[in-house]
Amino acid sequence: MNCEWVKENVTLYLYNELADDARHELEQHLGRCKDCDAEVAEVRQLHEKMNALPQLEVTPNLLASARMSLQEALETTEQKNGWLRFAFDPMHWLQQMRFSPALAAVIFIVGFGGGIATMYRTASHQPTEGQTVVTQDRRSEASIAGIRSITQEPGSDKVQIQYDSTIPEKYQGSISDPKVQELLLMASRSNYNSGVRIDSVDLLNKKADDPQVREALIYALRYDSNPGVRLKALEGLSGLVKQDIRVRNAVLEALLNDNNPGVRTGALRALEAVKADTSVRQALQQLSTEDPSTYIRTESKRLLASMPHIY
Amino acid sequence: MQAVAVAVPISYMRDAVGRGSVTATTRGTMVGQSQSRINDAELIREAQRGNRAAFEDLVRQYDHAVLRLALHMTGTEQDAKDIYQEAFLKAYRNMGSFRFECSFYTWIYRIVTNLCLDHLRKRQVRKEDAPVVTDSSGEEYNLLDQVADDRSGASPERDLMRRELGKRIAKALEKLTPRERMVFEMKHYQGLKLRTIGDALNTTEETAKNTLFRATQKLRAALADMR
Repeated sequence: MNCEWVKENVTLYLYNELADDARHELEQHLGRCKDCDAEVAEVRQLHEKMNALPQLEVTPNLLASARMSLQEALETTEQKNGWLRFAFDPMHWLQQMRFSPALAAVIFIVGFGGGIATMYRTASHQPTEGQTVVTQDRRSEASIAGIRSITQEPGSDKVQIQYDSTIPEKYQGSISDPKVQELLLMASRSNYNSGVRIDSVDLLNKKADDPQVREALIYALRYDSNPGVRLKALEGLSGLVKQDIRVRNAVLEALLNDNNPGVRTGALRALEAVKADTSVRQALQQLSTEDPSTYIRTESKRLLASMPHIY
Repeated sequence: MQAVAVAVPISYMRDAVGRGSVTATTRGTMVGQSQSRINDAELIREAQRGNRAAFEDLVRQYDHAVLRLALHMTGTEQDAKDIYQEAFLKAYRNMGSFRFECSFYTWIYRIVTNLCLDHLRKRQVRKEDAPVVTDSSGEEYNLLDQVADDRSGASPERDLMRRELGKRIAKALEKLTPRERMVFEMKHYQGLKLRTIGDALNTTEETAKNTLFRATQKLRAALADMR
């Protein structure tokens, strides 16, 4: 501890904000150092002077009048997000229940009974292989998706709230099952989780001959925001560029416009089988000069060079 | 945002006022603080559901301290009332966004200190004279004239000296920046811990400490010739 440190911390010392050990050391130092002792005396004197400043105090009248004005203003003030009060708050609900031990017993009994009931159900309904299983648990997993309307009955405190709820369900079945295919098609288009979209496109690739599935793959290649999903769709469509002009166009479009070099490279490979096609040739010529990726430019040039008879 | 639990019971704050130092927190006050936080949490939840009575209970717990801080910082009862009202209305409107990351006390102090700082900044621009204040009837008077020296041995000369000293101190305080003024007020006159001050001003304890150091140095320089 030196004099510099003491000078910086005199204020903290006098306000009792120093840790015990630092305080003890500082006091030891003051016993040895007259300058620092004088510094402490000076700051202490300043504090005494500052206490001489008359302080306005809150009078009961002032407090009462401030409270009254506030109460009046609150009458006309709305809380932001006031609708939150209608939301279900389990913590509040539990706090309202003042009989926690009884509640614990009820939860235990219900849990125990539920466990036994589930065991019986699963034992007697073991699914055989290939059989479709739909699982629903409406009581515990349903969540409120949105509130449609809130109406208060006139002259009473009753409120009617109309809402939509979503219930998670499970479906299990073969890839050839139309319902499974329908769900996969839906997942490939609309699911917000790109991992789910990749999985569904991967499965749909096996059924790319189906026109509906092919449509979904083309859609994924064209519009999916995730390059991984687009690459997967391209994988499934690669084998079809020769036979389906729509697939060829979609892949060509990906080759020219996709912002991901990996997808463009994949499209280039897929189109190798139809490189003699006029539209493909034109695209290759454009790419050989304009594509930002060196690899794609070189590959396009190579493909063009391998078909001299076209010129 | 830093989430620090700080709860200071009003009685504790009142005790500290005017002495310029804070006594050590006793076991009793600590129990009181945690109890106060539990009660606050219940009231806050109720207030968040739109229960105005619960909000008014919360207001009553903290409004004396809030009004006192506003009164000291603004120097006028009317401005203090305005800040008090604006602070609690702001709190009421935004109850829904209170996430229990800090105590309600810290939250309301954040709102009040911000409003006071805004007020001081505007006043600095207008260069108003601080010691002239208005009472509830709107009449202007000099704050320092109101001080009666009721100590034994008071004499007109001593009274005059005290008034002179008061004027000099008020002028010295005017020279501080709004932030320095706020930290000094909260530490010296309100007796709050630097950690609490840092929380209320949305800054660190270290920054509050440095601001207090600067404020003290400026005041020392301004009042150096006074003995």
